[in-house]
Amino acid sequence: MEDKLKTTDGRSLRSGSFMRFMIVVGIYFAAALFILLGAVLQATGVIRGFLSVQNFINIIDTVSMLGIVAVGMAFVTYSGNMADMSVPTTMALTGIVAVQMLQYGFWPAIGIAIVTGLIIGMINAIVIGRFRANPIIWTLAVNYVTMGVIRLVWVNKQIYPDTVASTAGVSQSFDSIYRLNVVQHIGGNDLLNIRLPMLMMLILVVIGQFVLSRTSFGGQLKMTGASFRAAKFTGVHVESVIGLAFVVCAFTATLGGLAVTSLSRVGAWYNGAGYDFRAVTAVVIGGMTLAGGRGSIVGVLGGVLIIGLINNIMTLLGIPTLSQDIIRGAIFIIVVGINAKSLRSLGRDDT
Amino acid sequence: MTTPNLKSNRSQVLPWIDRNRIFLLFFVILAFMTAFAPRFFNPFNLTTIMSTTAMNACVAIGFSIVMISGQLDLSIGTVITLAGIIGLGLQPRFGYAVSVPVAIVAGCLVGLVNGLLVTKAKINSFIVTLGTMTILQGVVYQSTGGNSIALSTPVAFSTADFLGKKLMPLVTPRILVTLALVAVFELVMRKTRFGRNFYMVGGNRNTAWLAGIGSDAYIIGAFMLSGLTAAVGGVFFAMESAAATQNLGTNSLMYVMSATIIGGTAMSGGKGGVFRSFVAILTLEILYDGVILFGLGNEVKIFLAGLILALVVLYEAYAVYKHDKVVGQRPYLLKELAEAGVKKG
Amino acid sequence: MKRLLLLFAVLALVAGTTFGQSAAAKKNLEDSLKVDVSVLKAADNQPLIVLSTEKKVIPARPANPEALPETDPLHWYDMEYAGWNTKKVNQPKSPGDGAIGKKIIFIVHGDHPWTTACILGAKKVADAYKIQFKALSPNWDLAVQNQMIDQAINERPDAILLIPLDAKTAPQQARKINEAGIPLFLFNTLPSAEAMNYCIAWTGPDDFGQQRKLARVWADEMKKRNADAKSIGVAYVQHAPGGSPYYARCWGPMSELSGYAPSVNTLIKDAPGFDADKASQVVGDWLTRFGPDLKGIFAADDSAQAIGIFEALKKAGRNDVVVVAAGNSRQGMDLVKQGKLFAITYQTAEGDGALAVKTASDWFNGKPVPPVSYIPQKIITKANVDQFYPAQW
Repeated sequence: MEDKLKTTDGRSLRSGSFMRFMIVVGIYFAAALFILLGAVLQATGVIRGFLSVQNFINIIDTVSMLGIVAVGMAFVTYSGNMADMSVPTTMALTGIVAVQMLQYGFWPAIGIAIVTGLIIGMINAIVIGRFRANPIIWTLAVNYVTMGVIRLVWVNKQIYPDTVASTAGVSQSFDSIYRLNVVQHIGGNDLLNIRLPMLMMLILVVIGQFVLSRTSFGGQLKMTGASFRAAKFTGVHVESVIGLAFVVCAFTATLGGLAVTSLSRVGAWYNGAGYDFRAVTAVVIGGMTLAGGRGSIVGVLGGVLIIGLINNIMTLLGIPTLSQDIIRGAIFIIVVGINAKSLRSLGRDDT
Repeated sequence: MTTPNLKSNRSQVLPWIDRNRIFLLFFVILAFMTAFAPRFFNPFNLTTIMSTTAMNACVAIGFSIVMISGQLDLSIGTVITLAGIIGLGLQPRFGYAVSVPVAIVAGCLVGLVNGLLVTKAKINSFIVTLGTMTILQGVVYQSTGGNSIALSTPVAFSTADFLGKKLMPLVTPRILVTLALVAVFELVMRKTRFGRNFYMVGGNRNTAWLAGIGSDAYIIGAFMLSGLTAAVGGVFFAMESAAATQNLGTNSLMYVMSATIIGGTAMSGGKGGVFRSFVAILTLEILYDGVILFGLGNEVKIFLAGLILALVVLYEAYAVYKHDKVVGQRPYLLKELAEAGVKKG
Repeated sequence: MKRLLLLFAVLALVAGTTFGQSAAAKKNLEDSLKVDVSVLKAADNQPLIVLSTEKKVIPARPANPEALPETDPLHWYDMEYAGWNTKKVNQPKSPGDGAIGKKIIFIVHGDHPWTTACILGAKKVADAYKIQFKALSPNWDLAVQNQMIDQAINERPDAILLIPLDAKTAPQQARKINEAGIPLFLFNTLPSAEAMNYCIAWTGPDDFGQQRKLARVWADEMKKRNADAKSIGVAYVQHAPGGSPYYARCWGPMSELSGYAPSVNTLIKDAPGFDADKASQVVGDWLTRFGPDLKGIFAADDSAQAIGIFEALKKAGRNDVVVVAAGNSRQGMDLVKQGKLFAITYQTAEGDGALAVKTASDWFNGKPVPPVSYIPQKIITKANVDQFYPAQW
């Protein structure tokens, strides 16, 4: 494949393979440090059960929905638009719409939910891509309006899949969005508990990474993220590139919303609360800079896994969830600080 | 061929409306509520509106200065809570004379840390303040064990009564504190070089540097002011409630942020003002108050607030978009071309 | 002379209207007393207004309850028995002219399906008495609740009914309403004892008593399943910090079991919030950490928290853990019916709101009202779950 993105002196505008390797490995190196920490704690008898297949599957399982949402969020961040704050209500709305539409069967419900999500994505795409509204503020406004719409339409009620669904089978299918054991489903044993959201996360990471690093859209996205004006003057259709990033984000938020709704078996306006900041945290820990154009989806997966590891180790240590915030926040700032510093020392200053 | 008159009436009226749109919005909503909302326009209800805005209006002062400097402070919500917890938690041992200043200093310190991380460690303010917000949430829980703090001593109650006492229509001591801070900071930001430099730093850092302004110091200063006003707002609110809860400031972040934007302070920095944010908060509160008086639910409130925010952002973005389209084009040249029968574009 | 005539005329008018008024008041009172609200039903076909039949025994207050350990039931004295031994301050007198046509403002804590059901129940009673009823919800925001209280005072209703957002902020709110001379009825969550001085009555669930009862059922089942175990390890998934459920639904059962079942020992407690995925993560990690030692879980919420807990149990392949939960949601009842949740508490949401309005109406009718009234306590298990369907929310 020909590399079209080159500077005048022939250097590739894509980060060099070594840099890319380092950025990806850097975060997995940090993850390895946390695993080592867990292993040491276990060896000294402070915690137990950390080093087991079941525990690692647990860790991945608990962050799978965050991972799904973070992949889409990463596209937005990569495009230089910081974050999509409309993610929480996109999740809530698509979830509640899906539940409401279960009366027409399972697949129609999923289809309508995805269309709903894509409509929100399209609105963001037009306003931010074409009119260059400030992404944070605009998506915040969309978040408000969507919340208002959900609550006006469903009058502050929550709805249950099994009362709405046309048949019990439909409601069970909806239940299994979160609960389906993929290994068991394709005929394996039920000892290995790989659920659908985990699989979805991994597939999305693979596709996302492929799109970012191997397609022309990915290249254009990088260029747009790196410099909006430069990309525009080079002839990149920045409007649609940025727009598409927001559509991708709305799509993954929809998938996340369906999983969250399926898990809690209820469509309600509060589903998905907090996923905006959590996804940004994962994306940024994973090595993406808010300035855009830098990072990788594989790195974001690393960020998601680190969050899972930190939560797991701290809960095994018996630290109350609400106190864990102190450590989580500190690690967040430190990791990002180190990342920013190392990029600067490499002469790749963003900010 | 004469030069076309570029300054038509239209182009003078529209910018004026544009510049003063928050004041227009304020009067429109005020007039609507006065005309239609039951029991809206009376001293009691107006005082209620003022005292409800007192906290968030105070918080919005510092938040606006941070935005004017081109940064973002997500930690204000938890600083409010922290200040309330410190102010009331230390009162039994040291009295308000010590605990309130300590709470305010704590707010400034959070701002200092934010500012240092943004300027010296060069981390994006969105990330820094998201981090400090998370940390402070944990600190609040850790220091209180999840308990709210309440004081039911005569001193606490008399302070609470004093802060909420009506001195004259629309003014209680707590509202007075907010009004005074708004007035002082509006004057400082407009009339002093110190204040104007914030606009310079936020508008264009390079220009500021060329003008000999130390950007870093101003950014740190902006964050400290944000911590200060958030703490003042939080601690006085807690004192009037005679209690501080775990989620005192949780709702303030999004509220203050949207009000500041509606007020015309841009996230890109260099634009806006303290008084505009105050008017925006007041406008939103009048709207909310009216919604309650009409007997409508929160869903209407959320929807309307979102709609106003969305329209303002959309309008602003569209204005810039149109401006960008016109920049570099020479209108009289276009006109000549049009006269010559050549289609533009 | 003219003036004197005028004076007489005015006096006659005043006397006439006063007499007319008192006659009308008497008629109104008679009509009000005829209203029978005991026939009303909640959405789950249970009677709407039932009082707890259990006599709450109020022990003597220890000198300093806070000094006792948290596992001692009396440590929680001021919270559990708030309202029983208070000195009422500056209470308005009942007008005694009947509840019909009165105007009440009903301020809840925030939007939630539970709240929707609660308002529905209150509305049913208000309609029966033809009371003008206005419900306000501050969306879990203290500043907004304070604003609503101010607005309510400004509206000068005949009574204000309030769920305080936070136990500790209630005293100042109650004082304000009390000083405005408006009758105040608190309900649902227990405020701190101080606030009880300023209200006419408090109604709602006996959260502590109820959780103690649930704890006994829970402990019995755990003992049955682990007959030869010397020590039974349990964990508590707590409510959000701040309100009375945070205390009642963790230390309530914990302190009860310190006397009733000393072999039950607390391994851990945590407040992960109300997300199913978060609860699932925390409980999953507990199962890793404690393994087979963890034999029981007490959850503060029977909807999202309980669902998260069962996802974690399923992942770990554990079906021996006895899980009980506070609350009475549809998801919780479904879990009981499926045999997953061992027991939940019956807590009528409609009845909660209804009892508050009923108490206010009694007071308007000049009847004596007790300072504290509880809605009934019941434990729902697989054996009796069917009679509680359909769920209220």
